[in-house]
This record gives sequence, C-alpha cells and structure tokens, in this order.
Amino acid sequence: MNYFIEQTINGITLGGLYALVALGYTMVYGILMLINFAHSEMFMLGGYIGLLSLKVLSDPSLAEDVGLGFLEPAQAFFNSGTIGFILMLVVTFLVSGALVGVVGMITERFAYRPLRKAPRLAPLISAIGISIFLQNAVLLWVSSKQLPYSRADGTSFVPVKTAFTFMGVEVSTMQVLIIVTSITLLLALDTFIARTRVGRAMRATAQDRDAAGLMGVDVNRVIMLAFFIGPALGAVAGIFNGMYYGSVKYNMGFIPGVKSFTAAVIGGIGNLRGAMLGGFLLGIIESLASGFISHAYRDVIAFIVLIVVLVVRPGGLLGESVTEKV
Amino acid sequence: MARSTRLVLAVALALALALLAIGCGSNDGGTTTTAAGTSTESVEVVIGIGAPLTDGAVALGQGMVRGANLAVKEANESQELIDLGITLSTVEGDDKGDPTTGGNVAEQFASNQNLVAVMGHLNSGVTRVAVKVYAQNDILQVSPANTAVDLTIPRSNANYFRVCANDGVQGPAAADYASKAGFKTAYVVDDSTPYGEGLADAWAAQFEANGGTVLGREKTADKDTDFKALVTTIKAQNPELVYYGGIYNAGALLSKQLKEGGVAVPMMAGDGVFDPEYIKLAGAANAEGDLCTSVGLPTDQMPKGQDFIASYDAMYPGEAMAAYDAYSYDAAKVIITAIVQVAKDMGADKLTTPEGKKAIIAATQGISFESVTGTVSFDENGDTNNKAITVYKVVGGAWTPEKM
Repeated sequence: MNYFIEQTINGITLGGLYALVALGYTMVYGILMLINFAHSEMFMLGGYIGLLSLKVLSDPSLAEDVGLGFLEPAQAFFNSGTIGFILMLVVTFLVSGALVGVVGMITERFAYRPLRKAPRLAPLISAIGISIFLQNAVLLWVSSKQLPYSRADGTSFVPVKTAFTFMGVEVSTMQVLIIVTSITLLLALDTFIARTRVGRAMRATAQDRDAAGLMGVDVNRVIMLAFFIGPALGAVAGIFNGMYYGSVKYNMGFIPGVKSFTAAVIGGIGNLRGAMLGGFLLGIIESLASGFISHAYRDVIAFIVLIVVLVVRPGGLLGESVTEKV
Repeated sequence: MARSTRLVLAVALALALALLAIGCGSNDGGTTTTAAGTSTESVEVVIGIGAPLTDGAVALGQGMVRGANLAVKEANESQELIDLGITLSTVEGDDKGDPTTGGNVAEQFASNQNLVAVMGHLNSGVTRVAVKVYAQNDILQVSPANTAVDLTIPRSNANYFRVCANDGVQGPAAADYASKAGFKTAYVVDDSTPYGEGLADAWAAQFEANGGTVLGREKTADKDTDFKALVTTIKAQNPELVYYGGIYNAGALLSKQLKEGGVAVPMMAGDGVFDPEYIKLAGAANAEGDLCTSVGLPTDQMPKGQDFIASYDAMYPGEAMAAYDAYSYDAAKVIITAIVQVAKDMGADKLTTPEGKKAIIAATQGISFESVTGTVSFDENGDTNNKAITVYKVVGGAWTPEKM
C-alpha cells in the first residue's frame, strides 16, 4: 500500500509538470488549430534561464561578475532561510516566465502570424523550424553538454528533505513544491479564462476568430497573450524539471514535449481543463506502470492508454464533439 | 503586408547569419588540423574521428578528438613522416552517440577518397552500424572505447580493432571487486544500448556466480532523465549496491535521484561514467562512494604517462582529460604506425589507393609498440592484449583508483 501511494505521488508530481506544458499546446491549438512544436523548446529555454537566474540570485561573486553586484543585500536574504528561498524561486519564475513568454510572442509574430492565412501545413513546418533553431541556438551559444542544476558549490538548490510523512510515505520538499505550484497555477489560469474579460475574449476567439474580431475583440492581442501564457507556464515546468531531475540539456524538451502533447490529446486538445486532467492522468499512469509492471514499458503503456482513449472518445476525455469546419 | 514580410525576412536572415558565424567560430581549428609548412608534393592522408560531439557522452567524445589530434600533430612534426612525404589531417564526424547518425557519419567518411582510417567510435551501438560501411570501403577502424563483446567475438570484420579491453573482461572484474568488497545483494539497471546491456549482463552473471543475489533487473533508455519511479522500486528491494550499465549522462542523474530518494547505497558502473562530468552532474555529495571500472591502468601511473600528460597540457591548456583521451591517442598511433609501414613498403602515393587501404588493415594486425596505455598489440580477433582493468571510487569529489 505504501509503495502504491509513493508511486502515485511520483506520478502526481510528474503529472503536474506535464499539465503545465500541455496547457501551452492546448491553448494555441484551441485558438489557431496549430500544433506548436516549438513549445517544447520553451520548456527547455525556461530551464536554462531559470538555472542562470537561480545561480545569479544565490551566488554573490557570480552576480558581481555579470554586473549585478547591487543584488547583494537581496542575495543575503534569499540565502537566509525558507522564506528567502521561496522568494528567490518566485523571482526566478517571474524572470524566466516573462523572458520565455516574450520569446513565445516573438515566435508568434515572426513565424506564425505571416502564415496565418497559409495552408495549415505551412505554420507546422515553421514551428518545427523554430524548434530546431532554438535548440541549435542553445547548443552553440550555451553548451552542448548536459549542465548540472545546482548552486556554484555543486549542491542542489532545494535541500533534499522530507517535507512530511503521509500514511507512512515520505514526501519530499521538491514534490510538495511542484504539486502545490502547478495546481495553484492551473487554478489561477482556469479562473482567469473563466472569469475575466480577457479570458472571455480568448474563449470567443477560440470559438470563432472572425466573429470575435467583428465583435470588437482584438484577435491579434488575444493570440499574443496565448503565446505569452503558454510559454511562461512551460518555463515554470522547465525550471521544476531541472530542479527535480537535476540537469538541463539543449534537447531536453523533446520527450516531455511529446508526452505533454499526448496529455493534451488525452484530455481533449483545445480544452484547458482537459489538458490538466490529461497531464495528471498520464503522469500517474506512467509512474504506476513503471512501478508495477516495468520501467522499460512505461511509455508503451502510456501510449496504449492514449490509443484506447482515442478509440472510445475520439475527441479526448473532455473534448467537445466539434463538427469539422470545412 | 509587404513591408512586414520583408522585416520578417530580414530578422530571420540576421539570426541565421548570427548562428552560422557562431557555428563556424567554434569549429575554427577543430575540424581540420593540418601541419603548416609542409612541402607541396606530400601526400595528404586523412584520418576520420568519429565520436559523440553534441549529444550523448559529449565529454568523452570531445576528449577522444583531443587525444587523436595530439597523436596526429606529433606525427606530422616527426622527421619520419616528413621524409616519407605524408601529411596527415583529421576530420571529425559527430555521431551523437546514435547508431543512425553514426551510419551517416560513416558514409560521409567513406566518400572521402583520402580517408584511410577511422579513430572511433565511442558507442558500441554506433560501431555496429558504422563498421560495416568501413568494411565495404576497406577503411581501417580502431576504436579506443567500444567494449561490447560481440564486435570482435566472433570476428566478423577484419578491418576492426580496439585498444581497450571488452566487457567480457570488464564486467566480471567489476563483479569480482564488488563481491570481494562484501556486497551481497544488488539491483541491476542498464540503458538498453548494446554497451550498457552487455556490460550489465556480464556483471550480473559473474556477481551471481560469486554468490551474490541480483534482486531485480530493469531497463531504462540512454536519454532518460526521470528515474523517480524506478528509485521507489529499488528502494522497496533494499539492495546493498546498484549496478548501472550505461553512460554518465543518465548514470549521474540515476545516482543523484537514488540518493535523494533515500537509497543510500553506492552505485557501481562501467567505463562510461568514468569522467569528472559524472560527479559534477550527480553532485559531489551524492556521487561520494560510487564506484566504476575503467579499462587499463591510471594514465599517470604508466611509464609513458607523465610525458603524455605534459604534451597534452601543452596542447590543450586548462582542459581536463576524459576517460578515453589516452586511448584515443594510442588508437590514432596504431593507425599512424600502420600508415607509415605501408608507406615504406608500397610508397606514400599508394596509401589512398584500394590496395593501399587493404595493406593498412593487414599491417595493423601485426603492430606492437609501447605507449601511454601500455603495450599495444592485437590478438586474432582484433582485441587488445592489454586486459588490465582498474576500479575507481569517488573519494572527496574525484575518481580515485582503488586497490583491486
């Protein structure tokens, strides 16, 4: 029983990461009917920028080297204890999320918007191009090596501690951090889309872009916003991925990208709550498959689930039965 | 509309050019190393270096390039080659540790008429594909690092040699050490590559023959980063040791996640993790006490080791030596020795002809010389006769040789 709970918690943690990334796929698909293959690179960029930010914020001598010596008082606070550490994480999320969000907006402006009226295959190819471009940019400008996600002295950013014991199962600080943050962000996004004017504009654009435009919605701004929020959430997942598993690499986005896309499809692509559900489901299935059947077969089992879902409910678990727009 | 399209094009072009410039910049002086100031009538002979340079075990691959280039540079400066009228140059091929990419690299090498031999590859899985291409084109391959047993036994490619001991030697030696050190139970994981699988199999068989118990066996992928669920499984089995067959990239993360997940036992692995990168990636505190085996004896304890280290540091100031730099140096020396011998027998101008290439392969079989890694010579299968294995342990954040 303990073993089952432990694997489930592993799965929820992994699922939280998938859900954060899956949202980016599903939002863009909902509005533009575009599978944004460059999204996995946003996850990767988030990991790298997060690592840089964490290093600069936690290490006074490094900050001085890059001309940010004035940060010293803040650094003393960041390194002082739990509250300081959480604040440092928040700053890192904001920095990385904002920068990656801007990168997302730039890709939309230069790689997708010129092709909005083109056949649907064209932006898809453009997306693959952006993905290759970003990977190679990091490969050449940063490093071809796998970089450890650690402080200057080689220790992890998050001290490995058992946060609490739940029914005889030890839950680590990192797991609590990931689960709490991802659920908070998901709830916040859900409220934002459901309750605010901008959220309503987004839903309207997703339903019918032209009609929304005629009703006075600035469609371009809505699309820009989707391309900011998605990558920003992806960046948060990238940072967590680095801290949880311990490294970043220029091609680290590919596999989580494919998995998160799968999660979005399981939940019903285009549906935000579906992406969240699909993410957690996929994470838990993978973890349990690895724990109870075989680690080598976890992907096989995860994709069998995908096929079964698509056979039973072709639109995904929460997918609306959309009549094909011709 | 037209204006914005032009703007887009301009930005895209600028970015592409910037990338290109960076790309070229970082390759300067790396891709082709030719000795300057040689006479014009010298024959140009090319040696291919096949290694993972941007993906896979990058630290080991880049070390291979450094080791081989050092040997080629020394040879080009030697009077013997100048007298024979040979200019050696090297060409790098990035196999990314991936068999498919490795096959493409091999085809590329084979299309180069002046290329007579290949120093590489690192991964046994890559060699399995590449060696066939070399065999068809009479290109000699000398690997500094392949350890999968079936590459040489049974011998299927006469053009293939290696200067390191294979897993049939390494796996059992590592298991013997583990048993002697008092480990009774182990959990065995591999990365599903020919190298990792073969090594883990050989280790597990010997460990059980020594009376140890293998509590479980699991396969992962060589590019995996998530071992959390596996760690929970291993924790439930409570082994005294975890054996990992694979490369440092994934291995370091497994070690880190094991320790963080509460499995406070050492992880043992093969030569694929014998690199400072492993300790950096895992975190020194997590890696402390981890074990690995590597082929040969420590370089600084070899008779010619100190000279090698001195000339290495002179050529690559500030670069740390990786596991296969010395072996790559020796593998390149094997190739150079064979080239020199054929040039003496047939004349330098015959080197790049089909007969010359065949003669180079034939000459390699009989080579024997003293070098950095010990006596370099080959048995009837193309395996090295130098079968020494050293066990290393992470002590104080560095790999330290253990007494066997």
